[in-house]
Amino acid sequence: MKVTWNLPDGAQITADVQTGTNMMEAAVANNVPGVIGECGGNLSCATCHVYVDAGWTDRTGDAEDFEDAMLDVAEAERRPESRLSCQIEASDDLDGLVLIVPQP
Amino acid sequence: MTVWTPTDDGFADLTSHDTFARGAPHNTFARLRRDDPVHWTEWDGGEGFWSITRHADITEMNRNFAVFSSARGIRMEDQTYEEYLARRTFQETDPPEHMMTRIKVAKAFSKPVIAKFEEDIRTLCDEILDTALQHGEFDATKLIARQLPMRMLGRILGLPDEDLPWLVEKGDALIANTDPDFTDHVLDRMTTDEFRMMPFNSPAGAELYTYAKDLMARKEAAGDTSGVLHLILQPGKDGSVITEEEFRNFFCLLVAAGNDTTRYSIAAGIQAMCHQPELLGQMQEGGAIWDTAPDEIIRWTTPATYFRRTVTRDFEAHGKTMREGDKVLFWFASANRDEEAFDDPFRVNLFRSPNKHLSFGQSGPHVCLGMWLARLEVRVLFQELCKRIKSVEPAGEHKFLRSNFVGGIKELPVRVKLQ
Repeated sequence: MKVTWNLPDGAQITADVQTGTNMMEAAVANNVPGVIGECGGNLSCATCHVYVDAGWTDRTGDAEDFEDAMLDVAEAERRPESRLSCQIEASDDLDGLVLIVPQP
Repeated sequence: MTVWTPTDDGFADLTSHDTFARGAPHNTFARLRRDDPVHWTEWDGGEGFWSITRHADITEMNRNFAVFSSARGIRMEDQTYEEYLARRTFQETDPPEHMMTRIKVAKAFSKPVIAKFEEDIRTLCDEILDTALQHGEFDATKLIARQLPMRMLGRILGLPDEDLPWLVEKGDALIANTDPDFTDHVLDRMTTDEFRMMPFNSPAGAELYTYAKDLMARKEAAGDTSGVLHLILQPGKDGSVITEEEFRNFFCLLVAAGNDTTRYSIAAGIQAMCHQPELLGQMQEGGAIWDTAPDEIIRWTTPATYFRRTVTRDFEAHGKTMREGDKVLFWFASANRDEEAFDDPFRVNLFRSPNKHLSFGQSGPHVCLGMWLARLEVRVLFQELCKRIKSVEPAGEHKFLRSNFVGGIKELPVRVKLQ
């Protein structure tokens, strides 16, 4: 599947991501600035916070309890479309997904 | 000139605290990374253990908590199940249990909340540096590095200022429980059985237990809800409340962890400035260096030398089989000098970026809760220090802590010239 990250400076990074990979790992592998993932995808750091682009939120679903709590810990402002990208897994259903990297 | 040259013969005893009293045995770590990246050590002080020394391996295994569990202890020393239950904090749990506690305190230590303390930290740094720099020659660990972290933690926890020196002393006794300069109850030199149910097997743990309990009672009576401690006493989303034992252990953990890790990063950073004189000028130029310098100083230091895990099922790596129940040590001190992960790892490069060091246990669920505070304290301290001095140089031999768990310079005699 393809994923596009929209960066705060207006640049875009698009990459092919293998099914089963999570979006934090995909961002780190593709050097997407602003997505760090210091806890390795274990819901302990909130450094992989992204906004899911309008139109995709139904398919990416809602944050579960721990993720919901950790979204309060993120550096950038929390919005309804906020997610920790380590909790979004690549699937065919998400082909074309657009994620917005928050302004720090 | 690099900062110091490791002197071990490449076959140092990793179980010996005396080994680390001469600095981390980096020649040994380099040999293990090259020849034996999953290395077995027999030990007469307890069960033997595996050592993982490569950056890539630790990164991979640390995130795999289902196999590499924290729930059987996090240090080399063995614990009975009974001791483990009595002494554990959320450091000694795995997800999802780990998260139940972590979410109660994560907000208070989050980057945006911590960022609000910057001016407080700067004021404290002013006071500390103005006092220390009155001396031309002094111990920089004692007069600078040791001062800042506990005073800052006191603010965040909502502790009275007058209690802080006592807490520094107790925190030292806890975490430096293998160094006779910091405790009368040296862990590997005497029986500490009397205190085996206490954090870090230490009588200081018992005293801190009592302190935490009295403190909360006083605060409750006064209606004082300031600080992080109040936050973690609130019921969780599922209505669960932290037990008294959990609370007291968490308090001890904060005092221990908040006390000496950043202290040793500050000390090692000052030592690096002594031996790489270009660092001071680079700091004085300022600008983007402050985005990268704190992490490089913290990589260079690696205050937590290792953390231990226990294997929950047989696991193979590099031709070795780690068996269910085996202890495994992730040597962050080694990973942070791994030539495969860092160019010129034995040199401090304040512009290093990216800097995928593992000093905070990055890549696993136990990544340091206080990492934003640590980075901020290190940044502000060095910003303020470099403004004031023209040069800093060694004024005698530095001494390392006697501990294979905490890597730190406990005495750092320096000579400074002011601007």
